[in-house]
Amino acid sequence: MSETAMLLNPDTANDVAAADQLMTLMYDELRHLAAARMANESSGHTLQPTALVHEVWLRLVAGGIERNWKDRAYFYNAAAEAMRRILIDHARRKSRLKHGGDQQRFNIDNFDLSVAPADERTLLINGALEELERVHPERARVVLLKFFGGMTNKETAETTGISERSVNRHWICARTWLFKRIESHAP
Amino acid sequence: MRTDPWPTNGILEQAEEIFCAALEIASSQERAAYVESSCGHDAELRAAVEGMLSSQPAVEIFFQQSTPVLLPNISQVVTAACCVPDNAVVSGEDAEFEGEQIGAYKLLQKIGEGGCGVVYMAEQQSPVRRCVALKVIKLGMDTKRVIARFEAERQALALMDHPNIARILDAGATQTGRPYFVMELVLGVRITRYCDEHCLNPCQRLELFIQVCHAIQHAHQKGIIHRDVKPSNILITNHDGVPVTKTIDFGIAKAISGQLLTDKTLFTAYEQFVGTPEYMSPEQAGMSNLDVDTRSDIYSLGVLLYELLTGKTPFDQNELLKSGPDEMRRTLREREPHRPSIKLGGLRLDELTETAFQRSVEPRKLKLLLKGDLDWIVMKALEKDRSLRYQTATGLAMDVQHYLNDEPVIARPPNRFYRFRKLVHRNKALFIMVGAVSLALILGFGTSSWLFVREHEARKEQVLLREEAERAEFNERRLRLEAEAAATFTQAAALINRGKFSEADRLIEEIQAPEIGPSLGAASVFRNLGRWNVAQGRWKQAADRYLKLYSANEIDPSDMTDAATRDLPAITMALIVAGDLSDYRRLMRETAIHFAKTEDPVAAEQILKINTFLLAETNTLVLLLPLERIAENSLVDQQAASRESQCMLAWRAQAVAMFYYRRGNWSSASQWARRGLDYPDNTTNRIAMAHAILAMAEHRLNSADGGADMDAARDIIDTRFPNHTIGAGIPDDTSGFWNDWITALLLYQEAEREVRPQTQCANGSSRRFAPPVVPKAITSSTF
Repeated sequence: MSETAMLLNPDTANDVAAADQLMTLMYDELRHLAAARMANESSGHTLQPTALVHEVWLRLVAGGIERNWKDRAYFYNAAAEAMRRILIDHARRKSRLKHGGDQQRFNIDNFDLSVAPADERTLLINGALEELERVHPERARVVLLKFFGGMTNKETAETTGISERSVNRHWICARTWLFKRIESHAP
Repeated sequence: MRTDPWPTNGILEQAEEIFCAALEIASSQERAAYVESSCGHDAELRAAVEGMLSSQPAVEIFFQQSTPVLLPNISQVVTAACCVPDNAVVSGEDAEFEGEQIGAYKLLQKIGEGGCGVVYMAEQQSPVRRCVALKVIKLGMDTKRVIARFEAERQALALMDHPNIARILDAGATQTGRPYFVMELVLGVRITRYCDEHCLNPCQRLELFIQVCHAIQHAHQKGIIHRDVKPSNILITNHDGVPVTKTIDFGIAKAISGQLLTDKTLFTAYEQFVGTPEYMSPEQAGMSNLDVDTRSDIYSLGVLLYELLTGKTPFDQNELLKSGPDEMRRTLREREPHRPSIKLGGLRLDELTETAFQRSVEPRKLKLLLKGDLDWIVMKALEKDRSLRYQTATGLAMDVQHYLNDEPVIARPPNRFYRFRKLVHRNKALFIMVGAVSLALILGFGTSSWLFVREHEARKEQVLLREEAERAEFNERRLRLEAEAAATFTQAAALINRGKFSEADRLIEEIQAPEIGPSLGAASVFRNLGRWNVAQGRWKQAADRYLKLYSANEIDPSDMTDAATRDLPAITMALIVAGDLSDYRRLMRETAIHFAKTEDPVAAEQILKINTFLLAETNTLVLLLPLERIAENSLVDQQAASRESQCMLAWRAQAVAMFYYRRGNWSSASQWARRGLDYPDNTTNRIAMAHAILAMAEHRLNSADGGADMDAARDIIDTRFPNHTIGAGIPDDTSGFWNDWITALLLYQEAEREVRPQTQCANGSSRRFAPPVVPKAITSSTF
C-alpha cells in the first residue's frame, strides 16, 4: 500500500524508473482485479477497461479522501498505459492462436476491416497509434486515455490539462486519421 | 506506394477545423453547404474535408465495435472434474485450439484443465447464442460407448432443473473422435476457496453446505448420482451480492466410468488412482464399484463438510497416494478418520491460527464449536457402512439445520440405537401374524442383528471411554505441571522481590508456554523478567519471556477493554527486535480478531499502535479501519476528550497519525502528528515519534520539506541513543517505557532513510522503494 501510494505521488516519483515501476504495478493490479471481478460475474459477462481503472483508483489510492487532480492525472496516465499493454497482450495471444503461427504476424492482405474480430482490430489500432505517437503525441495521448483507458472526455481533459472541447476535437480527428491509416495499409 | 491518407501539412489545420465544425451540423444538406462556403475555391481543401466526412460512418462503426473489453479469463474460473488421469493417448496435435469449431460451438478460451479433460468457454451459435462450458475428455476411450451412456441418462439429466445445479446441455464427439460435454457456464470459484477468502464463519459455511445438499437431493430424486462430489465441482457465484452454490459435472462421471469398469480396476496402466481418492466413498474405492448408489454422494458430502469446517480432508491426499493402491483401498474402507474437533487438535499452532482466522473465530472457540453435534453429523455422513449414513441428502441437510436451530440432531448414537430397537419391534409384530415358525426364525434373526448393533455400540463406547481416560490422564499431567509451575513462580517472585533477577530468570527458563495457563502471578514474573532481559540487551530471551507473558495473560474472550491490551506493545516490540516476525504476525492476527468489536478507544489505540510498528499488510489495515474510527472520534469529540488526560490524548493522536501514514494518507498523517505535538505533554519519546512521522509525511507531500522535524527528532533520539542504535540494552531507569523508546528509534531510522536517503546510503534511489523492515542496525548490534 505504502509503496503504491509513494509511487503514485508525482512529487516523490517523478523519475523514469519510478514511472516504469508504477506501470508494472498498475499492470499487475489491473490484471488481478480483472481476474477477481471475472470470478464473481455471471456467464457471458465482459469487462470494460473503464470500470477496472476506476475501481483500481478507488482501491489503491483514494482511501476515502479526494486527492488533487495532479495525482489523479499521474495515475490515469499510468493506468491507461498499463491497460493498453494488457489489452494488446490479450489480443495478441488470441490472434496468434487463431492464426497458428508463433511469431508470424497475421497477413493483412486478405483481411476485411469490417469483419475483423475485435482482437485484431485492437491490434491494428494499436499499430496505427504508434505511428500517431510519432507525428502528434498530444493527440495520441487522448486516444490512449479514451480508447485504452476508457476515460470520458472530462477525465481526459483533466488528465491532459487541455480543454474538453479540444479533447473532443483531438479524438474525432485522431480516430479518423487512425482509420484512414489502417485502411491505407489494407488493400 | 500509396498516397498519404491525410491532407498535407499546409492545409491540415484548416481542414480539421472545418471538418470538426461540419460534424456538429446534423442535416447533411446544411453540412454540405457549410463545407462549400468554408472552402471557397480551394479544391484541395474541399477534397480533404469531404474525404474525412465521408469516412465518418465507417469510422464510428469501426471504433464502436473495436472498443476493447476483456473476456472472462484466468484459470481460476471453472475447474474441470478430474476423473481420469491423462494416459498419454492424446498427442499435442490432437489438442483443440481456441477459435476452433466443434459442432455448434466455437471455442473461445481455455478456462481449466483437469486430469481427464480440458474445459473451454465456448460460444454456442445455434439455436440460441450464448456462452457455455465445453469439456473435452482427454482419455482415449471408446467414444461411442461414452456417448451412448450419456444418451441413456440424457432424459434424466434433462429433467434436472434446480438453481444450484449447472445444467448439462449436450454431448458429442470432436473431429478427432474424443467425447465432449457441454454444460451451463458457471463463473465462480470453488466453495472451499471462496469460504476461506471471504473468512466465512462456520454458520455461514453450513448455510452454503445446505444449498449443496438440496441440489444433490434434487438430482437423486431424478435418479442421477453425481459420483464425483468435491470442492472443485461445487462453485460459488455471486448473485446480487449473495453467494450461490452451483454443482457442476452431473452425469459426466458416470458416462466416463462405464469405460473403466470393463477391466474392473481403479488404476490405469500407470498405477494412478482414478478419481479423487480423498472424496471417494469406501464402496467406490472397493472392487464392487458397480454397486454405487445415492449414499456414495452422501459420503462425499460428508468429506466436503469436514473440509469446510476443519480445512482438511479426513485422509490426507498425499498420504493416500503415497501409500499405494492396496493400502489406500484399505484405509478408505477400514480406517476410522479423526473427528473434526480432534483433527483440529492435531494441527500446528500456526496452521490452527490460520484456519481459525479464515473462519473468523478464535482457535479455541473453533474446537469447542465443532465438538459434539457437528462432530457427530460429519461422522454419521462418513460411516463406512452406508446403511448407517444419512439415507438422503435432505436428511443430512435437515440435521445441519437442526444444529443451526439449536435443536437436537439425530446423528447422536443413542437415537440410532433406539431406532434399531424400534425396527426389531416392528418386525416382531409382523411375524407374529405370519406364523410361529417364521416368528421363531425372525426372532433369532432380530436378536442377532440386535446383538450386532449392541456390539457395535459397545465398541464405540469403548473408544469413547479410552479417549476419556486419555483426556483425564492428559489433564492430570497438565494440572501436575501447572502445580509445579505455580510453585516455581512463587519462588521466582520472591527472588525478584529481593532483586535477584538472573537467578529468577534461570529458574523459569525451562517452563514451557502450555504449562502456564492464565495466572496473574506468572504474568507478573514474566513481565519483570522480560524487562530485565531487555535491560541486559538479551533480546532472544526477552522475546521468549514476553511471549510467555502473552500466554499467562490469556485474555478472557469477552474482555475487550484496554486492560487486556496493556502488555501488547512491549510483547510485540520484543518479538520485532528479536527478529521473530512470525510470532509477531500471529499475535497481530489474534488480537485484531479479538478486539475487532471493541468500543474502548484506549484498546483501539493500542491495537492500532502494535499493527503499525512496521509496514503492515493492506488487509490488516482494512480490518483495523473501525478501530481507527473509534480512536479518532474520541479525539474529535470534545466532550469525550475532556474526560481524559492530555497525555493520553497525545498518544492516541500519535497512533492515529501512524495509521494514516501506513495507509499512505500523508496529509492526514501530517495533520494528526501536528495535533499530537500541540498537546501540552512532554513525554520525549512520543514527541520524537511525532516529529519523525511529520518529517516523513511532509517529505512525501513535498520532497523539500521535513528537515526541521528531522532535526527535532534527532535531538531527542541523541539523548537516549547517541549512536542511533539500540546499543547494550535499555535500562529500567530510563524515563518512559523501553518499548516506546525503541518505537521512536525505529521510526527515526525509517525517517532517516526516507527523508535523507543521500546521506544515509549511496544508492539512494533504489533504497527508496525498499519496505522498511527491522533496521539492520538493531539486529546486528544486539547479537
